[in-house]
Amino acid sequence: MTANDTRLAAIFHHGAADASSALAKWLGRPATLSVERLETLPIEDAAAVMGSSETLICGCAMRIDGAIGGLLLLAADDDAGLSLADTLLERPAGTSTSWGDLERSAVIETANIVGCAYLNAICAALDSAGTDGILPSPPVFLRDFPASVMQAVLMEQPVLSDIVLLARTEFRIDGTPVACGLVFLPDAAGVAALLPPTSDPGGSE
Amino acid sequence: MTSADVPPVVARSGDSVAIGQIGIAKGSGMLRTFVGSCVGLVLHVRSHRAAGLAHIMLPASNGRGTPPGKYADTAVAETLRLLREAVGESTLACTAKLVGGATMFEFQSGTPIGEQNVLSLERILGDLGIPITGRLCGGRHGRRLAVDVITGTVTVETAGQGTETLA
Repeated sequence: MTANDTRLAAIFHHGAADASSALAKWLGRPATLSVERLETLPIEDAAAVMGSSETLICGCAMRIDGAIGGLLLLAADDDAGLSLADTLLERPAGTSTSWGDLERSAVIETANIVGCAYLNAICAALDSAGTDGILPSPPVFLRDFPASVMQAVLMEQPVLSDIVLLARTEFRIDGTPVACGLVFLPDAAGVAALLPPTSDPGGSE
Repeated sequence: MTSADVPPVVARSGDSVAIGQIGIAKGSGMLRTFVGSCVGLVLHVRSHRAAGLAHIMLPASNGRGTPPGKYADTAVAETLRLLREAVGESTLACTAKLVGGATMFEFQSGTPIGEQNVLSLERILGDLGIPITGRLCGGRHGRRLAVDVITGTVTVETAGQGTETLA
């Protein structure tokens, strides 16, 4: 592992910890986010990280401008998303069976709270490097094929490189894994902030 | 290996074309992919029962060309080259179909990249005299498409919207 890898892992774990606190407070029950994958990938592999299922997923996307710009996506399978909506709306599990305005609003607000906590923590961790904060867009709800969603995430960035930095975070609520994840794809400026040229070219193997 | 006489130019599954890649098949079989803002370009040579499917991300290579399927200009040229190679002819009479180019996020501004991809392909195909005989482009949702190599028929399922056929 290089010095940059170690630094990057620490930054994203800091983001996940703050997002965990925000989610637990929002849900009113124990919740944790943990960094599942943090890696640079060829673009075709990044496009495939959500699989090629024909089953639709739901998600909320936020475009991030600022020191670490990019795109943040909260994605879940339908059942997990609707279950999350039930929890937030304080309804018995299984009440929500389709995506009405209320269910969408619940998930959008979750993306807003979790996403902002996650990115603010990452920004705070970078402050010593002289960053200027972030400006997230309002989350956009979508329900689509997983492969199409991931392509759209990639296409939001100026795709100048065939390699992308991708951070995936998984969720647990009440200690149980939830089919829900947070994906962050920083833009070129974000990658530059997160992966500055190192004075330790060999890293620490 | 699929039932196609010529294996698609894709790794592993043989009939699923990944982002930025090109699939070619001849004889029989299906080529498949998912698109969102990307565009699936289908070129079909009815006389030889051959089809190519390029999964295009960007409207122009601007001097970059790898992988060729990633950019509209290089994807058209490379798909035609692979089709010529597959059928063993130096000239081709083919038709085109376009699927995808959705604007999936409402915060996209300016001319969305998906729309730019479609416009670029229309111009390139027009310059080459290749008729576009079917299209299902734009909108807000991703699509799953399957190309019948024999007939060139493209079946398109739009997420949450149902299925249509481009004959």
